Amino acid sequence: MVKPDLSVSLGSLRLKNPVMSASGTFGYGLEFAPFYDISRLGAVVVKGLSLAPTPGNPPGRIVETASGMLNAIGLQNIGVERFMADVAPQLEGAGAVFAANIYGRTAEEYEAVAERLSGLSSLAAIEVNASCPNVKEGGMAFGAAPEGIQRLTERVRKATDKPVWVKLSPNVSDIASVAAAAEASGADAVSLINTIVGMAVDHRTRRPKLSNTTGGLSGPAIKPVALRMVWEVCRRVKIPVIGIGGIQTAADALEFLLVGAAAVQVGTANFRNPRACVEILEGIEAFLREERLSGIAEYRGGLLL
Amino acid sequence: MQFVAGKIVRNEGHGEIFYRLEVAIPEPVEFTPGQFAMVSGWPGNDPLLPRPLAIFRAGAAPKGKGTAEFVYKVVGRGTALLSGMHPGERLSLTLPLGRGFDLGRDGRLYWLVGGGVGFSSVFPAAAALAGRRTEFEMFLGSRTREHLPPKEWTPGGSAPGRVHLCTEDGTAGYFGRVTEVVKERLAGLSAADVSRLMILSCGPREMLKEIAFAAAERGAEMQAALENHMACGFGVCWGCVVALRDGEKVAYRRVCKEGPVFDAREVVW
Ligand SMILES: Cc1cc2nc3c(=O)[nH]c(=O)nc-3n(C[C@H](O)[C@H](O)[C@H](O)COP(=O)(O)OP(=O)(O)OC[C@H]3O[C@@H](n4cnc5c(N)ncnc54)[C@H](O)[C@@H]3O)c2cc1C
Ligand SMILES: Cc1cc2nc3c(=O)[nH]c(=O)nc-3n(C[C@H](O)[C@H](O)[C@H](O)COP(=O)(O)O)c2cc1C
Ligand code: FES
Repeated sequence: MVKPDLSVSLGSLRLKNPVMSASGTFGYGLEFAPFYDISRLGAVVVKGLSLAPTPGNPPGRIVETASGMLNAIGLQNIGVERFMADVAPQLEGAGAVFAANIYGRTAEEYEAVAERLSGLSSLAAIEVNASCPNVKEGGMAFGAAPEGIQRLTERVRKATDKPVWVKLSPNVSDIASVAAAAEASGADAVSLINTIVGMAVDHRTRRPKLSNTTGGLSGPAIKPVALRMVWEVCRRVKIPVIGIGGIQTAADALEFLLVGAAAVQVGTANFRNPRACVEILEGIEAFLREERLSGIAEYRGGLLL
Repeated sequence: MQFVAGKIVRNEGHGEIFYRLEVAIPEPVEFTPGQFAMVSGWPGNDPLLPRPLAIFRAGAAPKGKGTAEFVYKVVGRGTALLSGMHPGERLSLTLPLGRGFDLGRDGRLYWLVGGGVGFSSVFPAAAALAGRRTEFEMFLGSRTREHLPPKEWTPGGSAPGRVHLCTEDGTAGYFGRVTEVVKERLAGLSAADVSRLMILSCGPREMLKEIAFAAAERGAEMQAALENHMACGFGVCWGCVVALRDGEKVAYRRVCKEGPVFDAREVVW
């Protein structure tokens, strides 16, 4: 039997398969090289980068919850300059296709980071984190309403020739409208969802469990919410949608493709199983063979309603 | 560092609170005392995240395979589920992780201090020092007699004067906290001995902090194995940071990567 065609298009960008890592759960990518050949992934999406290195939030950054976890890392990162000088060449050397996730405190900062990264010829795309719930000045201000997304997307769009993916927050009342605003402002794709704002407190010490008080929920607990949102957005926009949220198995990933996602990102699952991304990739291929499908294209968006 | 499928060889309770877990792994691993593994394998997603456990022992098994051993205390849902697993069942392990104790040069005087289940990373250090015939003394503290490690686990034998047991309720050894014994001994040490002293310690944060202050006061060196909640264990989530001194400033360092063993003087207690 011929090998199923796993490749997918995200606008002008062709990926060899639909499985990517989710930002913030995969370090800078190279940390996974001991576990498998990271060039096998559709793309590696690195930890959110800011203009200057960011120290992040004080300790008390993660809490486990039922089938999920809350994090308030506060976007600790090495900054765009060190990424370009030290990390990007190594990712290139490893043969990885990689995208940079970016954030800023102001629209100008987003623009500056995007501009700086544009010079990186090996960079496949820029993913704009318009939705981090853990930084007070952060993307939330932009991600919360269609107008904010429009402003941010337009500016980043002007600053770079790279494909721009806008990563959406689920902490909004109508995510499809926010996605439509990103599309109208020139986004090449939207990725969703980022984490859902949550909270955990200790009833004995009477204190919040996170130093930041609130944090972002991720993991299998959020999958139904993510799937619903991806489905809604797929029905609304024509640009490709990257599905994210609680994906742990090939079946989970296939569910997102079924409701219309063009590709997926795997986040929290990397923590328990550092090989999660490749195992999901292998599982998707096995499924397509088993179902005698020619490739992803034949399966994608085929939800029977 | 590798991610491997292991098979439980034994998983037995010892005394009142400890379990000893031995896992067969595809090939032998080498580790530095203080390094750890991320362990998971109970069914389902609750708890979702793997649990960090110090590597108690690791070695070779027949047919080129390896084995890794752990000692753990049941404190919550994850360790409770682990304690219910049987020989033959599978576990996933990522190991060895982090930076262990620097057992440095010879000619030093080592004090190994373990509070509670902290002996799980102190014993491997003792075994390594005993193996190269380096002088050391060990101080082990617990709430009560039943919470001390079984005698036969003690590496390097219990030569007189070598192992000091302390219990908070006086049911074994010194009546009081291990910190008191260590502090008292520190105070009585000659300046020459203090300059040769290296304290290696693992246990509750309060214990580490008290000993760190006492050591700093006398100018003695100390390495502390810290703990924190972890999601990944290999440096990619940035969830496990602690505050360390970085010149005049404070920097957040990952317990799983730059630690778990830190120079006690750098820790912002
Ligand atoms: C590097 C490292 C090595 C360790 N080695 C050992 C070992 O050899 N043997 C052993 O018994 N334990 C060890 N621990 C601690 C062990 O990981 C925890 O006890 C375990 O994760 C608890 O899981 P649980 O689901 O049973 O408890 P949970 O339900 O998760 O927690 C029970 C209670 O313990 C607290 N707690 C849980 N994990 C931690 C943590 N990592 N740091 C501080 N407080 C915590 C929780 O806040 C809660 O109050 C180590 C921890 C680290 C970071
Ligand atoms: C520890 C942690 C750090 C994260 N950091 C980022 C980040 O820097 N930028 C970003 O856009 N999303 C970040 N995310 C969100 C993830 O990329 C992903 O959208 C979310 O976790 C949902 O997917 P999951 O359930 O598969 O983890 C982070 C998530 C976690 C758990
Ligand atoms: S536990 Fe993830 S960085 Fe330390």
